[in-house]
Amino acid sequence: MIEYFWLALVPPLAGFLFNGLAGKRLPARIVSGAGCAAIGASFLFLLAVFAEFIRLPASEQQIVHRLFTWIQAGTFTAECSFLLDPLSMIMLLVITGVGFLIHVYSTAYMKGESGLYRYFAYLNLFIFMMSLLVMAGNYLLLFVGWEGVGLCSYLLIGYYIERRSAGDAAKKAFVVNRVGDACFLLGVFLIFKTFGTLEFGSLFETVSRTHPQPEGGFTVLAAITLLLFLGATGKSAQIPLQVWLPDAMEGPTPVSALIHAATMVTAGVYLVVRSAALYSRAPDVLLLVAVVGVLTALLAALTALVQRDIKKVLAYSTISQLGYMFMALGVGAFSTGIFHLFTHAFFKALLFLGAGSVLLRLHHELDLFRMGGLKNSLRVTCWTMWVGTAALAGIVPLSGFFSKDEILWRALDSPLGHPVFWVAGLVVAGLTAFYMCRLMFLAFYGSPAHGHGESGSEAGTAVTAPLTLLAGAAAVAGLIGLPAYLGDHRLDRFLEPVFRYSYDHGVSASHASHSLELLAAGAALAISLLGGALAYRLYARDRSLPRRLADRFPAIHGTLQRQFRIDEAYSLFVVGGLKALSRRVLWRVVDVGVVDGAVNGTASLFRRWSGVAARMQSGNTRTYAAWIVTGAALVFLYLLSVIG
Amino acid sequence: MDLNYAALLPEILLAVAGILLMLAIPVLPSRQQVRLGYAASLALAAALVTALLQWGDHGPAFFGMVSMDALGGAARILFLVSSAAVALISVSYLKRERLRHGEYFPLLLMATVGMSLMAVSADLIMTFLGLEILSISSYVLAGYRRGDPRSNESALKYFLLGAFSTAFMLYGIALLYGAAGSTKYAGIAEAATQGQAETATFLLGLGLLLVGFGFKAALAPLHVWTPDVYQGAPVPITAHLAVGSKAAVLITLLRLLHQVFPASADQWQTLLWIASAATMIIGNVAALTQTDVKRLLAYSSIAHAGYILLGVIANSPRGAQGVLFYLAAYSLMTLGAFAVVQVFARREERFTKLEDFRGIGYRHPLLSVSLTIFLLSLIGIPPTAGFYGKLFLFSAAVEADLVALVILAVLASAVGLYYYLQLIVLMFMKEAASPPEPVPVPLAARIVILLMAAGTLYLGVYPAQVLSIAGEAAGL
Amino acid sequence: METYLFYALALILVTFSILTVTARNPVRSAVYLVSALLAVAGFFFLLEAEFVGAVQVLVYVGGIMVLFLFVIMLVSIEALDRQPKVSRQWRTGVVLAVVLCLELSLLIFRGTVSLEEGLAEPGIITTTETMNTEAVGTVLYSTYLLPFEIASVLLLVAIVGAVVLAKKEI
Repeated sequence: MIEYFWLALVPPLAGFLFNGLAGKRLPARIVSGAGCAAIGASFLFLLAVFAEFIRLPASEQQIVHRLFTWIQAGTFTAECSFLLDPLSMIMLLVITGVGFLIHVYSTAYMKGESGLYRYFAYLNLFIFMMSLLVMAGNYLLLFVGWEGVGLCSYLLIGYYIERRSAGDAAKKAFVVNRVGDACFLLGVFLIFKTFGTLEFGSLFETVSRTHPQPEGGFTVLAAITLLLFLGATGKSAQIPLQVWLPDAMEGPTPVSALIHAATMVTAGVYLVVRSAALYSRAPDVLLLVAVVGVLTALLAALTALVQRDIKKVLAYSTISQLGYMFMALGVGAFSTGIFHLFTHAFFKALLFLGAGSVLLRLHHELDLFRMGGLKNSLRVTCWTMWVGTAALAGIVPLSGFFSKDEILWRALDSPLGHPVFWVAGLVVAGLTAFYMCRLMFLAFYGSPAHGHGESGSEAGTAVTAPLTLLAGAAAVAGLIGLPAYLGDHRLDRFLEPVFRYSYDHGVSASHASHSLELLAAGAALAISLLGGALAYRLYARDRSLPRRLADRFPAIHGTLQRQFRIDEAYSLFVVGGLKALSRRVLWRVVDVGVVDGAVNGTASLFRRWSGVAARMQSGNTRTYAAWIVTGAALVFLYLLSVIG
Repeated sequence: MDLNYAALLPEILLAVAGILLMLAIPVLPSRQQVRLGYAASLALAAALVTALLQWGDHGPAFFGMVSMDALGGAARILFLVSSAAVALISVSYLKRERLRHGEYFPLLLMATVGMSLMAVSADLIMTFLGLEILSISSYVLAGYRRGDPRSNESALKYFLLGAFSTAFMLYGIALLYGAAGSTKYAGIAEAATQGQAETATFLLGLGLLLVGFGFKAALAPLHVWTPDVYQGAPVPITAHLAVGSKAAVLITLLRLLHQVFPASADQWQTLLWIASAATMIIGNVAALTQTDVKRLLAYSSIAHAGYILLGVIANSPRGAQGVLFYLAAYSLMTLGAFAVVQVFARREERFTKLEDFRGIGYRHPLLSVSLTIFLLSLIGIPPTAGFYGKLFLFSAAVEADLVALVILAVLASAVGLYYYLQLIVLMFMKEAASPPEPVPVPLAARIVILLMAAGTLYLGVYPAQVLSIAGEAAGL
Repeated sequence: METYLFYALALILVTFSILTVTARNPVRSAVYLVSALLAVAGFFFLLEAEFVGAVQVLVYVGGIMVLFLFVIMLVSIEALDRQPKVSRQWRTGVVLAVVLCLELSLLIFRGTVSLEEGLAEPGIITTTETMNTEAVGTVLYSTYLLPFEIASVLLLVAIVGAVVLAKKEI
């Protein structure tokens, strides 16, 4: 059975085709039922595969299945091959597991929306593409999945077509992602040119032979890994391509939970871990990855402090946590990054779904300052979100504590780490606890604000059941990766076969005593509690202080609120620059004609509608002829330089 | 030497069909003239069948004026498919615009003869004649909407500038004859290896030839005519210019440079490097601010010619393969896009502004979904043909150490993404401005749109088959 | 002797070509063009290609140019006369033309291998024993059969095109 693991792709694809082709004419129950059943079937199947997989000896946990030779052209071969190893196994389980819960949740959340069949078709297609991404046995197939999830994300962000901002946000997400994708593709070309293969197995094996030792400086491997990392920054919303994720919150909330928190945005992390054999041999790029991760984590956490929109807080939080993951990868702790990805998937999905439940109750009121006092009417949402908040803030013994703490410890302890990373990580931990508790206090406590009465209740089992299950998972998921002073790190051992071709920097071997590690963990915990306590002081008791602070320091507040004005800078320099180039230079000069210059600008418009004979004399045609002669003159100039 | 008439069977068939159609004009009552379009499509289909049967034939014919090989065979098939699609979308177009069918289809068939001759030509004289037949028919077809000043302008500009560029090309051919003592491809290639490639005459001839081809293929800075001509011409003819005509010129250029002028590779590679970079940048950036779909697609086609040059510059069989595959993909998606625009433009081409596409997404699912497929393919998103086109082209270029140019190409296509996406967003994510007006979709156009969409997806999911044909044609 | 004749003819050709495009009166333009074409015929005679030279005179000077003149006579000349012959952009045009000429002459004279040395042996018609006309006929119906035939397709297309564009109601 295990060799048929790739069949897990079939149900989501079938669900997509079913809903996409026939869904329009079917009742909502069947549409949503089919959507959920497809993912559920895939998840159950993968559980069965997992049960078999875990019994295999570690050396055999690397199953490659070649479906067919996809493209064969001279030296260029691309297989349609799938790879099942511990890394893809764990990713697949997260994707389909969390995905299933979110599908179930969607049946309630999206009730009564028009075009439900589109929603479920896209969502199923997303699961298919994401599974393809993590199951791919080579970079090309991975890229197909990579683009596919981008497309689904784009379609789902723009789901509410009546909202203008939704269309713009979708476009922004797509464009920014494509900049990253372009770099990714260049990296893939470079891999093929250098090593002649794109298959993971043979590629990593070749790399470990040809580059036994890591090398500093700008080597081919550095170029490849740099390009792949730029691709990852696009998908995972890291500096400098982080701008799209907050806007992506325009999509339905379950989409934010699944795509823009739990799965798709972690594809960048997955890519780097998958390419660990390359990254571990390019230490300078690793350093860059760590620095980008730290900076993103800090920047996003600071921005999250002052957001009013509940989903934006969670979006910046996601960016920040992804920054954590990249920090872990940057110090060479690849499995730690996956550990945090794993736990983060649960608690962040939980938090988004909780936020969705709040939105359902408040008729899509997004402003935190217009909420309050929901703890009585939304009991389940409230306590599950507290679990998620505590997990995210890293309160012992919830899952986030273990994974985040491991990242901080690696940042300090790893040979590639640095105390600066650790300190920055601690600050982010404190900020995280602060903004999450702020969110909780504002939404659930205090007096009910603005016309939303005490009455009303949870939206039903389809909402509460996923919340409860995710809360359970968020609480205990950390147990698979206990720190050394507590016991056995199962995830580390499980993932070991993935890194067999990577260069071992000795990251996982402990360099310091258990007591120091315990001390560091204690410090992180203390800072988190401090952040939470501060939020309690500011937002649970007296809410006037934050406003006064904001009034007192408008510049800082404004800068934070607008994410350090990065968006504005981008639109000014990049978008504005290109458009100006297009309009002012190319269109006016090249298109209308440089020779007549400004005189023709107004005149040509008039001429456009006048007769042909006048046009002939207008100079346009002659200008074009002049361009042709110029082209010829340039060609001759070059020939002159050749003949000399 | 043998005459070997059979080698030119498709061309002969088309020429005879063209003449027969002209003879039929006075006989046929004017209401029945619609049938001329279907007859032309049938003739193209018959020529396609003969061309397919001739796949695999090799060797010279007509005293070495033409030569059959896989490259010519593949190119011929591509042109015939393109012209057939153009003919099919023309039928309803002419009817709707109340234009005469009579001379239109013979001219289209003759243009196809010209393209087809360019594909199999083995002599500069034949190439020149083929190109001129193609050009002159195209000049006339571009001005076929005689009542519209834009169409007249288009034809006149195209004609004047085309004649101008022809002078360059002809001078180049004359100089090459002077340097090599032959106009035959093989003769020139041989002379080049015997030291003629170093002479001023030879290089000058090559340079002038490049100027001529550069104009026809709309490479910067010789592209200036394209937007005006494409915008003014009837939509099916714009498709013909952007696809068949451009492909014919590019394939001929590819054959000349790879087979006849490999000895001067250093020179033409540098020249084309610059042209390619300029073409990609200008095409993509200028498209950003366009507000008319035809003009937008014109700039887009300029940009795509820039990408295609990458494979030419690579100067390797893999590069040639990439060019051919890309041309196949490009033809499918561009023809499809123009077919949608043709249908959507409605009478007198009133609806070709970008704004007119606002909110049509769910109202006209066939048009909008297929246009989206074509646009995604033009961007280069898997699983569409455009993705693999770019992939093969760029990877061949990287293999040929054109890394800088590939980086430029990838960046340029990232810019291009913006304007294609704008159209998709307009269609699906914006509300329509005005109450809907019905958009009739004639059967022939519907067939073309569906076939092109299916082809775009087929090449995107399973490119291997077409790729292997392209490889065979490229001599891999 | 031949060289002197060549340069004399070239001078005539260039002079009349410039006059053709600068003359205000279209009839004059046409007459200048006739003179230029006659100079081209002179080149052919100089190259001992008597047949082509004769065809040049007959077809261009005799046929096409007379047709041109007829057309010009039929169109009202006054209207054309009022149009400025030289546009505002003549400066650009002159600069570009001069640059192009300069580059071409540099290429021809300054190249490491000059134009003259770069010439190949004449290829097709080498026999002077047989009659010139006969030789042309022979290649036209053997080697160049296909271009000869295809040229008729080109002419057909041109005729159809001219009719389509020019006629008021077809």
